[in-house]
Amino acid sequence: MNNLAKFIVGIFLTLGIAWLAFVVGARSQYGDLSPTASVLEDDGTVAEDAELFPIALSGIAQQGAKEYASLGCVTCHTQQVRRVETGFDVERGWGLRPSVPRDYVLQKHVLLGNSRIGPDLANLGLRDYSDEWLHQHIFEPQSLVPSSLCPPSPFLYTEVGEESESLVTITNEEDASDRYIKPTIRADRLVAYLQSLKQDYELPEISFLKSEEEDEVEAVVSVADKSTDAPKWLQDQIDQGKEVYMKAATGGGMCFTCHQVNGEGLVGQFPPLAGSDWVLGSKDRLIKISMYGLMGEIEVNGVKYNNVMAPPGIPPGSLTDEQIANVLTYIRNDWGNSASAVSPEEVATVRASLKGRAPMQMFTAAELSSPVQ
Amino acid sequence: MSTDSPDKIIDRSAKLVFSFFISSAGLWLLVAALFAYLAAAKLTDPFFLSTYEFLTYGKIKVSQANAFVYGWGGNAIFAVSIWILARLSQAEVRGSIFLIFAGVIWNLAITFGLLGILDGHMSGHEMLEMPTEVWPAMLISYLIITFLILVIHRSRQIRETIAPQWFILAAILWFPALFLIAWNGMELNPARGTVQTVLSMWYGQSLIWLWLTPVALGAAYYLIPAILGRTIDKYYLAIFGFWCIAALAPWSVVHHLEGGPVPMWIPAIGTVMSIAMVFPIAVASTNFHATAFMDIGKVWDSLPLRFVIFGTLSYTVSSYIGVVFSLPTVAKITQFTIINEFHFNQRVYGFFSMIIFGAVYFALPRITNREIPKGAKSFHFWTSTFGVLLLLLAYLIGGLTHGVLAGQPSLPWSSSVIQSIQPYFLITKFAFVILAFSQLVFVVNVWRVIFPNPISFIESCKKEAGA
Ligand code: HEC
Ligand code: HEC
Repeated sequence: MNNLAKFIVGIFLTLGIAWLAFVVGARSQYGDLSPTASVLEDDGTVAEDAELFPIALSGIAQQGAKEYASLGCVTCHTQQVRRVETGFDVERGWGLRPSVPRDYVLQKHVLLGNSRIGPDLANLGLRDYSDEWLHQHIFEPQSLVPSSLCPPSPFLYTEVGEESESLVTITNEEDASDRYIKPTIRADRLVAYLQSLKQDYELPEISFLKSEEEDEVEAVVSVADKSTDAPKWLQDQIDQGKEVYMKAATGGGMCFTCHQVNGEGLVGQFPPLAGSDWVLGSKDRLIKISMYGLMGEIEVNGVKYNNVMAPPGIPPGSLTDEQIANVLTYIRNDWGNSASAVSPEEVATVRASLKGRAPMQMFTAAELSSPVQ
Repeated sequence: MSTDSPDKIIDRSAKLVFSFFISSAGLWLLVAALFAYLAAAKLTDPFFLSTYEFLTYGKIKVSQANAFVYGWGGNAIFAVSIWILARLSQAEVRGSIFLIFAGVIWNLAITFGLLGILDGHMSGHEMLEMPTEVWPAMLISYLIITFLILVIHRSRQIRETIAPQWFILAAILWFPALFLIAWNGMELNPARGTVQTVLSMWYGQSLIWLWLTPVALGAAYYLIPAILGRTIDKYYLAIFGFWCIAALAPWSVVHHLEGGPVPMWIPAIGTVMSIAMVFPIAVASTNFHATAFMDIGKVWDSLPLRFVIFGTLSYTVSSYIGVVFSLPTVAKITQFTIINEFHFNQRVYGFFSMIIFGAVYFALPRITNREIPKGAKSFHFWTSTFGVLLLLLAYLIGGLTHGVLAGQPSLPWSSSVIQSIQPYFLITKFAFVILAFSQLVFVVNVWRVIFPNPISFIESCKKEAGA
């Protein structure tokens, strides 16, 4: 320790070994991965006409990545779906499968991030948001998700006086005043980048995950199929409704995560749907809570619950008229329930009657049981 | 004058350099405190100052970390290392003018680096966010300082070296090595895909483990015996502790990548090595605490030592907590949550900064021959202690809540998971206000003994006006 030269060699050696292992080792192990086909030929080669993944970002999206980095979005958003054993990411509907190193090989600056105050964005492009929605979200997230902590970036937009010049109109719920905004080129780049974020392809090393529940469901469905003799249109609606009920990814309803596959709910937390007087009762109420969610005290078959059901769907409150009609028809006709189907037109009528209600404003049982106007 | 003890002569030779670095460190501390407050305020109200692009949350957050680590950490490391090494070598500080020149460049580089971040030239890689244009200036100025520190060490009177010297020298030398590795892997010879992330994660974490940590440990190894007037208990373990840190720390830092798109062996090794870190942690805490608790009354009476022991206790606790949080079952819950903030603040504030405060309070009166009022120091101690504990508690409980709720896919993200940790953000905002106040007291304390004149000037003006 007394000889400075030996000391220096010693401390650089310990550092150097770790560097060799992680940086040099990782680099030589997978630093030269390249895009490949979803399925390889038998001999392990890529078929000539196969489509290769991942695909490169478009020029505008690449510039958007720079905006994303420079605004520090990475301080709150990750872009990695973890393996199932180490996290809940797939369950949360943040991806169809875990991310793998190959997904990132074409990105100039890889922005995996390590903090999640906001949701993971690795598959934002799969969430079916329109460009307008994303622009409005970047301009003022709170106008879409009232509780959002996502920082508004009004400096990427110009406010214009006329609706005709603008891309997005933002309506203030309280005084019904409108604002018209027009994205700058930087906002366009950012949105192009966000839309390009998707890991929607399979690779030789990873395929899409199917949750165990889905497998279970398929088994149940095939049994159910045989035992029912409902007319084909009804059976179709029930089947599609079941899909909504079971889907825990964008566009799904995710109902099973709370009300369970068997419709029994969880004691003390989530009320049952099987045999529920709510499910078998007024369609109007059902439609309303499927659009806006439900909170506060509620009594189901004589048992009290006091919990919150956020507006169902991924993203919240996004179920379409048709999906709502289907999922409600489904829950009214499984687990021994049997009640009339709900049609998309009925849903549309209720939706129209609720025009002006703030998005995401959950219903309470009390509000629903007051006489219908 | 000829009767001055050698220590006095050394202190006098270090005066200019120490004063320069520690007063710049103090300014950076205030800058970081301001950013910390802004960032915390933005998490409680997203519309707070949201129309200014350069004040958007992401930029502020990153600037805070950079100002803290490179600005406060860097300058404080220079000041404390130079003084402790000069004392231990019994050698005068030479080349003050070059040290200050290099220090000015270092500070300018960081200033431009932060302005670059705020102006939108951020790269998005942990602790490497400053625009690459300032990297050469940082490296060159750092190397000049390193060279002059080595000169001090080479001219030591006693050939035998002791623990504080190993830790401090190693830290001083590791930084440029880490920096060069990162530079090579990011810019000169850029890695592809997630190898970049492995590298930047490794760099960012190593910076804390191999730069800030050893300097603070070295300072503690110097200050505890110096103030208590007794030798370190079980000192023979220190060398084992040192090499354990040198050998294990650079491996342990990558466990944060658990489950991500990197080969599984990388986080797996990180986890194993993190667990092995219990050995060096145990060594350091035995050394420090066995020594300190023999004379606990004296620890309490000496404010510098109180700061140092707070730091070493915090080191022990935080490191053990770090080990627990690297276990895969726990990491599964806490990964990506605001527990990260807990770890960062625990290390750089609860441990590193507290020890540096102690070192400064010990050194400054000797260097300047002026006492800092006890009340002011004590006020600083209590506000810091309270602020840090509040901050860490909020991040710890908030982080666990964050993790547990996030792990329930049925809970909506914003309206349920993040809403539930909002109260903790409010507490951290409050804690950052207390800390900012406390840091201001520190800076005033330091500046008053270094530059007493402006104040005595103002006071004399007041007297005259009164008369
Ligand atoms: C303070 C942390 C924070 C920062 C910084 C941040 N976000 Fe967010 N983001 C959130 C939170 C919290 C949500 C969830 C609430 C919501 O949907 O608005 C979110 C949601 C989003 C969503 C919707 C995701 C979804 O699946 O519904 C997008 C898109 C988004 N952020 C983009 C960005 C962009 C682009 C930036 C950089 C300009 C950014 N965010 C910076 C916290 C943050
Ligand atoms: C986040 C968990 C969650 C999800 C996802 C969810 N629910 Fe609920 N649901 C609840 C809770 C909690 C209540 C009770 C609310 C209360 O206490 O006010 C409830 C109540 C209900 C009720 C009325 C009570 C009853 O048991 O009959 C219906 C009907 C219902 N949900 C249907 C659905 C449908 C359809 C979906 C999918 C589109 C869905 N829920 C998704 C949690 C959830």
